[in-house]
Amino acid sequence: MTLTHDSTTSQQSRLEQLCPPTPRAGLIDDFAQREIRRAILTAIAIPGYQVPFGSREMPVARGWGSGGLQITLALAQSHDVIKVIDQGDDEGVNAVNLRRLICETTGATETSEPAEATLIQSRHRIPEDELRQDQILILQVPVPEPLRGVERDMRELARMHAEADYSKMWVSLYEDKVRNGVITRTTGYPCLVNGRYVIATTPIPRWDVPRLHQAPFLTLFGAGREKRIYAVPPRTDVEPLTFTDVPFEVESTPGARCHRCRSEDSFLVEIPGPQSQWICSDTDWCRRERLSKEAQI
Amino acid sequence: MTSHSPMERAPWVLKVENLGKVFGPMDSDVLAETGPEIGTSKSSRTGTVVAAWDVNFEVAAGEALGVIGESGSGKSTVMRAIAGDHEASHGAVWLRTRKGDVVNVAAIPDSARRALRVDELAVVYQDAAEGLDLGVTAGGNVADRLTAAGWRNFAEIRHRAAHLLGRTEVPLERMDDIVRQFSGGMRQRVQLAKALANNPPIVLFDEPTTGLDASVAAGVLDLIRDLLTELGIAAVVVSHDFSVIEMLTTRCIVMHHGRVVEEGLTDQLLEDPLHPYSQRLVAAART
Amino acid sequence: MTTDLVLPVLRVRGLRKHFILHNVDGRRVDALHGIDLDVLPGEHLALAGSSGAGKSTLLRCIYRTYLPSEGEVHLRLTTGHEVDLATLSDAEMAGVRGSELGYVSQFLRAEPRRGPLDIVARAGVARGMDLSDARDAAAIALKRLNIDEALWDVYATVLSGGEKQRVNLAAGTISPPRLLLLDEPVSALDPSNREAALDLIADLTSHGVGVLAVFHDLEAMERLATRVVLMADGLISAQGPPTQILSTLTGVSR
Repeated sequence: MTLTHDSTTSQQSRLEQLCPPTPRAGLIDDFAQREIRRAILTAIAIPGYQVPFGSREMPVARGWGSGGLQITLALAQSHDVIKVIDQGDDEGVNAVNLRRLICETTGATETSEPAEATLIQSRHRIPEDELRQDQILILQVPVPEPLRGVERDMRELARMHAEADYSKMWVSLYEDKVRNGVITRTTGYPCLVNGRYVIATTPIPRWDVPRLHQAPFLTLFGAGREKRIYAVPPRTDVEPLTFTDVPFEVESTPGARCHRCRSEDSFLVEIPGPQSQWICSDTDWCRRERLSKEAQI
Repeated sequence: MTSHSPMERAPWVLKVENLGKVFGPMDSDVLAETGPEIGTSKSSRTGTVVAAWDVNFEVAAGEALGVIGESGSGKSTVMRAIAGDHEASHGAVWLRTRKGDVVNVAAIPDSARRALRVDELAVVYQDAAEGLDLGVTAGGNVADRLTAAGWRNFAEIRHRAAHLLGRTEVPLERMDDIVRQFSGGMRQRVQLAKALANNPPIVLFDEPTTGLDASVAAGVLDLIRDLLTELGIAAVVVSHDFSVIEMLTTRCIVMHHGRVVEEGLTDQLLEDPLHPYSQRLVAAART
Repeated sequence: MTTDLVLPVLRVRGLRKHFILHNVDGRRVDALHGIDLDVLPGEHLALAGSSGAGKSTLLRCIYRTYLPSEGEVHLRLTTGHEVDLATLSDAEMAGVRGSELGYVSQFLRAEPRRGPLDIVARAGVARGMDLSDARDAAAIALKRLNIDEALWDVYATVLSGGEKQRVNLAAGTISPPRLLLLDEPVSALDPSNREAALDLIADLTSHGVGVLAVFHDLEAMERLATRVVLMADGLISAQGPPTQILSTLTGVSR
């Protein structure tokens, strides 16, 4: 499927004259695809363990989703249906570009409906809809190392993971609580996966963290710049690190509801402006919410 | 009649056996080419450094043993071999854990050694930066040991940290201050609180007051002595300073060029040192 | 009285001590030349002799502050067993000190940031008393030795010499050991305080504590000693009842 553009027919024919369409080569070759898939398999076999992989140059800048993109490209085939969201929005510039790139180079189909998608690549959100076990969620990760903030030495980091020595992380949570009265971390909340490795749940907000726990679907985390892939396999424990007397809480603003669909139980973001207005972060979910409410009326 | 001691002695919790640390090639002659008689710990033939050799001692609960010597005598080598900061090249460092297991610190993987450091054996270093995270609060430093031992209740962690810092005379209003802002004496007190966090049966003190002003050092020493008598821990105190050894220990060993030249009751070593080197050391300390 | 009383609490046999001064050309100084001595429970044995005769050296060899060069130093423990202090391991010797064997010198080893009550009570705790009992006993001892109650929690480092000496004596005699070694414990005391101190020591012997003491004045010896051992040049030159020995001593000890 090709995307339609708002350009006029004359412009298009002119472009084709200047630059005739040639089949684009795949962005990653068989060798790269195999290497990334192996890294993915390792990541699934050792839940939460950060597997190094040979991160390639992508036609997007590192830090703009190159890790997630490589995972998607290594998995996607022509029969796949791809959904890409940026901040929960299918129409964000980056989401559109990535989706176009993926579909054009793999022959996959695009969609905004979560239920139709086989692969969902996301920055920042897990779709509000319940995902199924035949779907794979691919997250674009900026900083994969959960201990980065508490330790800089790479060898020491490796040792801490190897020995499950996470006391420094606990100290940072303690210090956060002492200084601020609450644990203030928003995205990338540290979680213990399968009772063994601590991961950064970046890029998703706290809101989505509980949805990883015992999820039916596979989640793959790809960090292009840091050259790491890690995974939360289906039906795996994901426990946010928190003190037994300090319950883990997700973001909420009392009384806030979506300006468009009136929803109160979705993840809301504030629209900058003179008066406080909130909208759903997941735009496609919000659209369907509105339609179903209108249908009821 | 006196061949069997009729006295009940507490069993050792720390036993150092034939401990040695050698840098460089080792052969049968190296030992004869080094040591106090030769006046060096470095073999002139092979360049091998015998940093420590044939060190033996036991420490029971409630006992404090001193290790005294000049820098380069091997005393810090012994301390670090016990702590597991450096690996010994010879001999054994036996630890009786609280569960009653006996383990050789010198022969277990690094990870197991670090696990022992959480609740069996703590170290108070001369340089607080070695024992503390200076960028973390006083309470956070104590919390580090507690969380490592599995504490997960915030209020309990806070309560325990406050108790320990109170015990080591850190003003509670400074509990949430970053340790980097603390004076040298106060840092040592935080180190003590952190070391004692999980009630370790063994605590090693490596020059705990060296570098502090005399009056500050006196206060810290006094506190350490109190803690030793009160908590019944087995302690090893390493120092070049006789006044520290005198104040904290009942027994001690004297090291020189990597060997133990004398051992005895601390007051006996001070009043009646037998080895020429001990006599020199005492004479120097007394002037 | 049980038969236990007739067995000596201390038996010293052939005790010799010499010092090699490695810093002074390896010079050898012979201090004790073979001492034989018994102390019975409840006996107060006074060591007399001119200075340099070896009295303090003998006490220190028994307490192991000096390591005996030769000979045996048998101490009978509370269990009834005898141990040889000359060959006991350091750790065991450390265990014997305290409840079995005490030593009071003329100097208080000043402990920083501690008051008399605390010092004396801690000595009791070190001998196995519980803290509140030890504090009660410490208060009684300090009162008995005329230490002004206003000074009980003042740091001992600021006390006068006489006050320190009395605190030292109180600490050394709380929960008294089976054998107490005294090295001029009342040398700095004025007459009335000296009286109280001697009274305290007399009390200990009457309660069965064996005492081996060095006093610099004859009067104290006359008053306390059940037997006097006269030393000269590292040897025992005479021993017997106080009246007999001390009469030969006029002008020697002082």
